[in-house]
Amino acid sequence: MKRKINKKIVIEVNNLRKSFNGNIVLKDINFKLFEGESLAIIGASGSGKSVLLKNIIGLLTPDNGSIEINKTNIVNLPRVQKENLLQDLGITFQHGALFDSLKNWENIVFKVKNREKLSNKNAEILALSIIKNLGLEPKILNLYPSEISGGMQKRIAIARAICGNPKILLFDEPTSGLDPVTGSLIDKLIITAVKTVGGSAITITHDMSSVCRIADKVILIDNQTIGWSGTPKQMLKSKNSKIQEFIKSTNPNLFK
Amino acid sequence: MFKYVFNFMGSIGRKCLNFISLLGHFFLFFTQTLSWIFRPPWYFKRIFSQILDIGYFSLPVVGLTTFFSGMVLALQTYNGFTDFNNETTVARVVLTSITRELGPVLTGLMVAGRIGAKMAAEIATMRVTEQIDALGTLGTRPMQYLIAPKVIAAVICIPFLVMIGNTIGILGGYVIAIYKLDFNPNIYLYATVDYLQWIDIIQGLVKAAIFGLIISMVSCYFGYYASKGAEGVGYATTASVVISSIMILTSTYIITALFFG
Repeated sequence: MKRKINKKIVIEVNNLRKSFNGNIVLKDINFKLFEGESLAIIGASGSGKSVLLKNIIGLLTPDNGSIEINKTNIVNLPRVQKENLLQDLGITFQHGALFDSLKNWENIVFKVKNREKLSNKNAEILALSIIKNLGLEPKILNLYPSEISGGMQKRIAIARAICGNPKILLFDEPTSGLDPVTGSLIDKLIITAVKTVGGSAITITHDMSSVCRIADKVILIDNQTIGWSGTPKQMLKSKNSKIQEFIKSTNPNLFK
Repeated sequence: MFKYVFNFMGSIGRKCLNFISLLGHFFLFFTQTLSWIFRPPWYFKRIFSQILDIGYFSLPVVGLTTFFSGMVLALQTYNGFTDFNNETTVARVVLTSITRELGPVLTGLMVAGRIGAKMAAEIATMRVTEQIDALGTLGTRPMQYLIAPKVIAAVICIPFLVMIGNTIGILGGYVIAIYKLDFNPNIYLYATVDYLQWIDIIQGLVKAAIFGLIISMVSCYFGYYASKGAEGVGYATTASVVISSIMILTSTYIITALFFG
């Protein structure tokens, strides 16, 4: 994917280290995300990808290192300042994390409605305009998350993340559990979101076809640290055994 | 031999430390929640829906419990005080027991079972499905949005529930006294009103408000820090009901001792 990438750093992670009860999950994690750049993070299940994401959004505090969002280190930042910084982020969680007690449209506009004090009518219109691009039917807006399929829930979660055009998008396995057509639709949406909003994205995924479609840069988390990094093209030619294993197991045709 | 003794002592020590740590953790949660209650924004719609849930929908359970308790009390008092039974004795015992103890305690226990369990299960499910994490990333503070409305609603509603429960309980006693024990209704009612004291009502309401605080805080605490998926939700629910009930029964003694000690 060829896009213009600015040299402005939006996220910078330096020497990040995170452990749980003495078990090191991540160590020596260093990377930069530039404005307009789409970064894909790959790695085996349990390698700490989601933990890395949770550190970036402030849900976990690293043992060591710094995480700078727009040049401000969020580690140990006072709550109000951290909240202000996180306003620029749109996040989807691995399992959607939609609010069961709210209807789908309320889920989508949750952040924007509270922030901009939108009326219910305007909020519903906003939700409708967002789901049009996600291949969802308007009638599901008035249903609850439990009343729609897992794939639809995933797309509602993505709609919630992109609602309000945040500058930085973070997706935790956005296409897992989706059919290839919808997966491809989500990929296009990520590309559009990054392109149109001029934003940046970090996507955790196991889908190597998706990586090739959406990413400008790829990071492999292996053995608690960054085992490999490069562009998708470099990835396809890489001799790194883990990378080859990943590609062969998910989509061998990518080699051709 | 010494090894077993040390291990035994060690396990007791560890349990004590865990308990103290839990108390400290709960105290922090308690003060944080209290601080969020007094800070804007206030989610009035959520507070109202909680009031409806805790107050209005608990009425049948509370009403039934206190009604039958009043009836039983009247009957047992009559049986127990056969030598000097009369309208005034039964009326007085029913009134005092209901307003001082049975009304608030039974209401508290019923609400702990009905609402406390619900609060804990709801918040715990939100925790284990990352909904609370998502709330935080959407510019909303989970404690302010989820917990503060529940605490406010519980502290407001339970005193009202107790007042209604007291009235229904006294009515239960009246029904038995008049229709089963053939007491004179005028004398019984006069005795009930005559023995009614403000201090009894006030201490009952103070207890109710404190029970509301206990039920909501304990339930939200166990829900908020739930972990380990479905098992964690189950644990949070059970723990919230058991601990709330124990704290209700403990605190009722302390409050009674402070008022009438």
